[in-house]
Amino acid sequence: MARYAMVTDLRKCVGCQACTVACNSEWEVPTGFARTHVHATGVAGVFPDLVSSFYVAQCNHCDHPACTKACPTGATYQAENGIVHIDRNLCIGCGYCLEACPYGARYISPTIKKADKCDFCSPRLERGQEPACVLTCTAHAKFFGNLEDPKSEVFNMVYEQGARRLETPEVAIGPNVYYLGKKENVDLVLATFPPHRPRLLAPGEIWRGYLKPFILAAVGATFLGQAVAFFHQLKVGEEEFEK
Amino acid sequence: MGAQSLPLTPAPLTVEQAEAMSRRQIKKHHVAIMLLHWFNAVVWLFELSTGAALIASPYFRVAPYWYINMVTTFFGSRANMLRFHIAVGVTWVIVFAVYVTFGFRTYVRTSVLHGVRIHEQPAWRKFLALQCILFQNEEVCLDADDVRWLKARFLRVMGRNHEPLPPQGLYNAGQKLFAWLVYLAIPVIMLTGLVMALHLISTMTVAWAVVLHFVAVGLVLSGLMIHVYMGAVFPEEKPAFFSMITGMVSELYAYRHHFKWWREVKMQEEAWKLELQGASGSSGVAPPVAGAGSVAAKCPLERTEAKREGAWTFKRIFRAPEYWPPYVAGAGLGLTLLATFVLMGQGLGASGAFTRYLVAILAWVAPNYAAHSSYWSNYVQPGQSPLIAFLVFEIFGAMIGGFVSGWLAGRVRIAVDKGPRISRRTRYALALGGGILTGYGARLARGCTSGLALSGGAVLAVGAWVFMLAVFAAGFIGAYFMRRYWL
Repeated sequence: MARYAMVTDLRKCVGCQACTVACNSEWEVPTGFARTHVHATGVAGVFPDLVSSFYVAQCNHCDHPACTKACPTGATYQAENGIVHIDRNLCIGCGYCLEACPYGARYISPTIKKADKCDFCSPRLERGQEPACVLTCTAHAKFFGNLEDPKSEVFNMVYEQGARRLETPEVAIGPNVYYLGKKENVDLVLATFPPHRPRLLAPGEIWRGYLKPFILAAVGATFLGQAVAFFHQLKVGEEEFEK
Repeated sequence: MGAQSLPLTPAPLTVEQAEAMSRRQIKKHHVAIMLLHWFNAVVWLFELSTGAALIASPYFRVAPYWYINMVTTFFGSRANMLRFHIAVGVTWVIVFAVYVTFGFRTYVRTSVLHGVRIHEQPAWRKFLALQCILFQNEEVCLDADDVRWLKARFLRVMGRNHEPLPPQGLYNAGQKLFAWLVYLAIPVIMLTGLVMALHLISTMTVAWAVVLHFVAVGLVLSGLMIHVYMGAVFPEEKPAFFSMITGMVSELYAYRHHFKWWREVKMQEEAWKLELQGASGSSGVAPPVAGAGSVAAKCPLERTEAKREGAWTFKRIFRAPEYWPPYVAGAGLGLTLLATFVLMGQGLGASGAFTRYLVAILAWVAPNYAAHSSYWSNYVQPGQSPLIAFLVFEIFGAMIGGFVSGWLAGRVRIAVDKGPRISRRTRYALALGGGILTGYGARLARGCTSGLALSGGAVLAVGAWVFMLAVFAAGFIGAYFMRRYWL
């Protein structure tokens, strides 16, 4: 089974947004939203030691995704090849996954009122094509492949050239989009766009913390009470009860 | 007996009175109510079973994973399960909308609150009066008797107290409380369901709708469990269950359990009678015979003595306290066996299920041994539980069926069937010994009376007939030696 990963070479990225455009047109992403988007970190440091970088944001298809756990219906799920999908027929648009994702990779589509995000161009992969952003990247800065294949470009970049995951000690859920570049560049990206801890939306937090235990206790207490009554009924027998 | 002579509180009845009242039937439910009730029951069964499986998040999940997987497999995909859940739910909303629209006049007609001076009442009565204003329906308004009833009822169910219950109206206080819960929760369930299904208003609205949907359903569920238990399992209220099928209750049940309603019905009856007499007295015409449109036909009291003696009624067949004749039961068993061959591709069995329970335990405790033992390994397939088999579920079905049959006939109770000469402990020991011998024999013969004699005999397997003859021969001999334990 494949384990798909993407590598963005920050040394090559020029921030042209061609990937954003390709993705939006390929998947008919509504105006104002994006499955992938290039952010600029701005300039940091003191002259002459200045650093600047681009950050290509998208779904990281994490090894231990936070979104699949928060999704109440199981519409967001991880396939065996590691790609995290959204089953649109199952999504109710509650937005729990948006809050859970540390990388802000998701949005609620205003047209279908459901969650949407990058799926590594799964329909294209099935046809044997590269993801649209990889194919279109003007600077040839994006690479896609199977990390379990030692001959793949991504294997080489991750295990030989030291491409890095955007992880912090607090948020380490195994993102599968790697960033290749000078240490200070990747550090700057991480410092400017740090992943937040996986969170639950307020109603979900109340549901999980208070309401679910309350309902379980109520149903359980009722069940226990009935069990006592039923045992009593069986002991006495039905005929005698009538009198 | 005039309307004035009706008792104000339930008085003890003589045996003859009770006998006469138990034969008379009173109409309690309109057929529309009964249909709606069972429609509701089916909807709740479907929606609860799919709804519990729809919550898959480890944070919010209430059902175990094996259950979620089972229901998902049943529907083919989770998306199909959601489609089914929404389709049934929307149907439910539409049916209720139609019912409320057309049935609303009934509610307005029965509204009360004439001349209640609320400000003079103590606080808790003010609260009771308030709900009458809210719901405009005396059938679901709790009164002072109801509050006392709730306490006494709870104590009686728990076997703590045997005080007489305060008189009740058409619905008792428990039913009224449940109605309250349902009235409050159902609009929440319906609205939040629609919000989720159609992704209405905003993301945050849907986020809250999921939670409210769960809580409202959970609260109704705990009430529903009591509702089902009291209506279907608790012996005193069993007539209420059957009234939801036939629409009728006996006058005795009405008198004992819904005295205030009984009194109203009787007063109504007296009023009809007076009207009839007046009509015949003034015009000199003979009173109209009971028929469609006549005053007597509108009378809620119906006489059932006229019913044919040997009529095949629901009660006669399923509620008879005697066991069914063995020939009828035998034919029924044959048809069941035929049905399992057609539907499941195999016959009935009993010992096979126990073998599988044992294999399941063995595969859990000693997986290596189970997988390599020449006997047990037949039942152990990698990746599949030995419990996923027709016989395992059939045994549960047989237990449920037996329970339902005993329940219908009023036979259910914990008891030890034994002869008069032996102690309970001897009986336990003999039962265990007999069970071990039977189980061992069944595995030697590769089947028991169900799996080998019945299913094998039905397909004319020679071994099955030899086994059957051997079983009966051994049975006759064994019975002779064991007769002391039973007589």
